[in-house]
Amino acid sequence: MIPALEIMFGFIAIAGAVSAALIRDSYGKLISLGILVGGIVPFIVDRGYLDVAITVSLVAPIATIFVLMVVRRADA
Amino acid sequence: MLGELLRILAAAIITWLLFVSVDIFFRLPEKGGVSGASAVARDIQAAGGDIAGGTMMGNIVSSPDASAGTLLAACGVYVAGIPGGLIAAALVFIGNRICHDPGYAGTTGAVLATFVVYGFTQVGFAATDFIAGMVIAILSIQGLSHLHASRLLARLWRVRQ
Amino acid sequence: MIAPYLVAVVAVFAALRAILEKNTGRKLPYANVMNFAIAASIVLLLNHPLSLVAAAAYFVGSTLEANAIASTYAGGGKQ
Repeated sequence: MIPALEIMFGFIAIAGAVSAALIRDSYGKLISLGILVGGIVPFIVDRGYLDVAITVSLVAPIATIFVLMVVRRADA
Repeated sequence: MLGELLRILAAAIITWLLFVSVDIFFRLPEKGGVSGASAVARDIQAAGGDIAGGTMMGNIVSSPDASAGTLLAACGVYVAGIPGGLIAAALVFIGNRICHDPGYAGTTGAVLATFVVYGFTQVGFAATDFIAGMVIAILSIQGLSHLHASRLLARLWRVRQ
Repeated sequence: MIAPYLVAVVAVFAALRAILEKNTGRKLPYANVMNFAIAASIVLLLNHPLSLVAAAAYFVGSTLEANAIASTYAGGGKQ
């Protein structure tokens, strides 16, 4: 990948990871994890691992949904 | 480079008109297609936006709508011409049903966009112009000012009613 | 071709706005813009028919995730 694009997507991934650590609100953390995954997927695609990219893209949201179920039970 | 930039801006305007009109035609500002849309609409209204505009923006977040259809159709045309665009429309349709959305805004947007994008590629545009243009179009609605975007969408919605 | 750069810049901008926005309901549209941009980037990085499927999978997955977050935040039905 062109270095400029690598830097930009890498920045998105790092920003997502750091904000996931620092943000206190549960929903904010989950959205930040989504941003992290969004920054990582272009790197997977760039290497040609499209099947891995498809799998990650479908599994990560399912993981978020399971976390939401735990969050809801924790709130209730 | 400037030529490409101008083509991308033109494509942004074309895709903006396309997806906004398809979404408004399918009554997206009226109510949430899926439950998450109303949560977003409420928070946009709380910040001073309009509820109808906010509902449409919430629907864009919660389920693939004409904006998603247009983007994926442009990607499909880039990758495989008209068949690619129609395959993208099929993927959008499946995506709608996976998100429990019974509507057809996404599929319709994708099919229309396939032919619009392909047509423009015959007169000097590149499909990538439309891919970038659509991203800019959605930025203008969901990514700049929720306040102004929701009010603009509400005004267009009133025209439809 | 400047399209990939433009799309990546939009992704960075939207990701930052999503992180900096405090209200959950208003974070989601910014994250949605980032998801559009990442899906577009997938196809722009690798011109291959399967990239279309990857972009669609990423987009539908991220939309499903955003909808789940919004529904739970609204206080109730995840489905």
